[in-house]
Amino acid sequence: MTNMSRRVFLKKIYHAMVVCGAAQFISFSELLKAADKKDDNKPYIIWLHGTSCSGCSTSFLDLEGIPVVDIITKFSRIMFHPDLSLATGNTVIEMMNHISASNIPYILVVEGGIPVELPHACLIGDKPFKYWVSKLASGASACVGAGTCATLGGIPAMHGTDTGSVTLQAYLESQQIKSPVINIPSCPMRPEHLAYTLLHIVYQGTPPKLDKKNRPIKFFGSTVHERCVYYADYQEDRFATRIGESGCLLKLGCQGPVTRNDCLINGHNGNTNTCIRAGHPCIGCASEHFPRRIMLHSYNDKRAMTNKKYQWRES
Amino acid sequence: MKITVDPLTRIEGHLKFTTEVKENIVVDAHCSGEMFRGIEKALIGHDARVAQQVTQRVCGVCPYGHAEAASYALEDAMGIQPNRNGILLKNLAVGAYHLQDYLLHFYTLCALDYIDITAILNYKGKVESLVALKSWVSSELKNNSVYPAAPFLPRYSGDYINDQDINIGAIAHYLESIEIMAKLHKMVAIFGAKAPHPVTIEAGGVTVTPSVQDIALFSSYLQSAESFIRNKFIPDVVAVASAYPSYFSEGVSQGNLLSYPYYKDPDTNKFAFAGGASINGQYQSLDTKKIQEHHKYSYYSNLPDSSHSPLDGPILTPLNEQEFETEKNKKDGKYSWTRAPRYSGLPMEVGPVARIVNGYAAGNNPQLNKRVDQYNKQLGITIDNYHSVMGRHLSRAINADLLLQLLNRDIARVEPNQLAFEEHAVPKNRRGIGLTEATRGALGHWIETDNKGYIKRYEMIVPTTWNISPRDRQGQLGPAEQMLVGTKIADPNNPLELARIIRSSDPCMACSVH
Repeated sequence: MTNMSRRVFLKKIYHAMVVCGAAQFISFSELLKAADKKDDNKPYIIWLHGTSCSGCSTSFLDLEGIPVVDIITKFSRIMFHPDLSLATGNTVIEMMNHISASNIPYILVVEGGIPVELPHACLIGDKPFKYWVSKLASGASACVGAGTCATLGGIPAMHGTDTGSVTLQAYLESQQIKSPVINIPSCPMRPEHLAYTLLHIVYQGTPPKLDKKNRPIKFFGSTVHERCVYYADYQEDRFATRIGESGCLLKLGCQGPVTRNDCLINGHNGNTNTCIRAGHPCIGCASEHFPRRIMLHSYNDKRAMTNKKYQWRES
Repeated sequence: MKITVDPLTRIEGHLKFTTEVKENIVVDAHCSGEMFRGIEKALIGHDARVAQQVTQRVCGVCPYGHAEAASYALEDAMGIQPNRNGILLKNLAVGAYHLQDYLLHFYTLCALDYIDITAILNYKGKVESLVALKSWVSSELKNNSVYPAAPFLPRYSGDYINDQDINIGAIAHYLESIEIMAKLHKMVAIFGAKAPHPVTIEAGGVTVTPSVQDIALFSSYLQSAESFIRNKFIPDVVAVASAYPSYFSEGVSQGNLLSYPYYKDPDTNKFAFAGGASINGQYQSLDTKKIQEHHKYSYYSNLPDSSHSPLDGPILTPLNEQEFETEKNKKDGKYSWTRAPRYSGLPMEVGPVARIVNGYAAGNNPQLNKRVDQYNKQLGITIDNYHSVMGRHLSRAINADLLLQLLNRDIARVEPNQLAFEEHAVPKNRRGIGLTEATRGALGHWIETDNKGYIKRYEMIVPTTWNISPRDRQGQLGPAEQMLVGTKIADPNNPLELARIIRSSDPCMACSVH
């Protein structure tokens, strides 16, 4: 690439970083310098699916601003991703064995939960998923839990399941694996959150600032409710009594007050929409309570929100 | 000799398959779903409306189908149907998602089994993204990186396309498809709030009050998606199909095809895709009473009668670790978390092929028949070639073409500023069935509520449950197992043919087991 076209390219990337919120920790001139770094500084990424649905992976492909191919070729090296890799079958097993035995620095991304009570409920190469997590997490420079299943339990750990699905962090703690963990809840994981986290690790050498549950504070510092377009209505006691009405959706089952996420600031799919803007109460997809026993209900239904009886999980 | 592929990548989820090969021909095959969550049982005791949000999360690739089927099942129990806008917005959100899913399947998951990614090294043009890709791949190879050019290499060696123009064109479209898919997801989000996992598709409609801006934005995205699909996706599918004509007779299933009615016209109550069952080449209308699930070879404790209709019979219990080991080491033991649904006792292939072949036989959609006749002439095939590797890819292209017409029709029919939702109470002690088509095939949800309106019983029979099913209690192979049998493998160390066959059925393993 000529110097000029490289500059144009980096401008484009910088613009994208502004969009996804990464610009606050890196200036354009720093980016120019960073891009001059040798290839060796690009982290390898190994992405694994546990008891997942691949929703976080398909969500990541929707990343705005930075083309996914630039993530692959310029900002990181996706050594293995189950939905992108041409490697298949035994080659994948060889790759995972090779990297875990080597000194190559890499980031492990885990999507989905880890079934520990029925370990045979998730197998790769005839070995339980937990075997691969143990093997790869101990050598990882960082472990990223992608999505609600890997970080807060979510669907595979919902009330009434039998597999004993646990989060990445809980599993690593149980195995005394000390690698740093970054949790990015949301169902699905929001692509900007992962891109920001990866760029931070690449350019700053550290994860972004995290809260006590290891979530980036930047995205999970406030509740959905606090940033809601209907917050003023809530304060004035204007509640919607049915779907389609204007006003706070709390009395129809909205989980905004108990859900930390930034979706009301930067909406889903490149700010195309939010659940609340689309007339639906927040279902709390990034919360510890997800999925609840009741999610959308009629006005003044006493079963909702504050009633512990209709919550399956303690926060 | 045995050839095992585990894990098969570039599908959704955890799939292993094992084949027995004699003189380079597959003589036997076993497909195993390797991941289980137990969501049906877990739903018991949840509010009936929760099913929409939870069941779509069995799959992050086709969540739309589950949201739709769950809403239909509860609407059936309620005895209602949404208002006109409600039906239209479901059609539009789900239809846009179908298009995204077709592109994901063809480009992200399958194309690089045919297209030679290394052709980029000989690229002579000036397109920025391709030049960047070329210089990256060549520097990766030169610098001797660990697994250079991952995730695109290493790969199976095999008979990739030689034609440089086809390769470069398709690589460019592979990259471009990612942007178009994001746009299609935005179309879903306009009425669904987000994609994956659209929240607004409820029993009673869609919770959105569409604005003029929503309609305009959807139309504008539809135009650019349409241009990509018509000018790039469909020609790429045809180019690959023309380069591999033998794949119209490879990966052939038993040929029994099942599909459910899909895409309702709110003004006529007719479906664009008729649904039904083709058995031994004879088309018949759908009868859901003929559906039973077997579990003799699935990792659940055996019940005395190892097959039952949805909602009838006791809930299956997953095997514990010890039982699992015992079965694995048994000669004719259980080998998959997937169960084995059968229609009139027969294994059925589902998917875009079934929609096309059953629709063609039903004859209710003249556009569909016209397209099929046109491609048959162009490619020198007949309707009997469709349940093959290339027939499946071609069927997706035809489906996408027809959907574009339907979306254009329906976005113009949406009434602005009219709420697309009506609230109805969740009925007590009631059963309902919700049927639809995900891109990968026939999807059914069955619900039963208790005396308080909570879920008493929930069953899903999902496209991949049909296609990747293990043997049933009669020992009949699942459709994908049958597709593998008879395949000639050029190089047992690089069983590219087998990977192409399984990928052509578009497995979604998280869906299939759930």
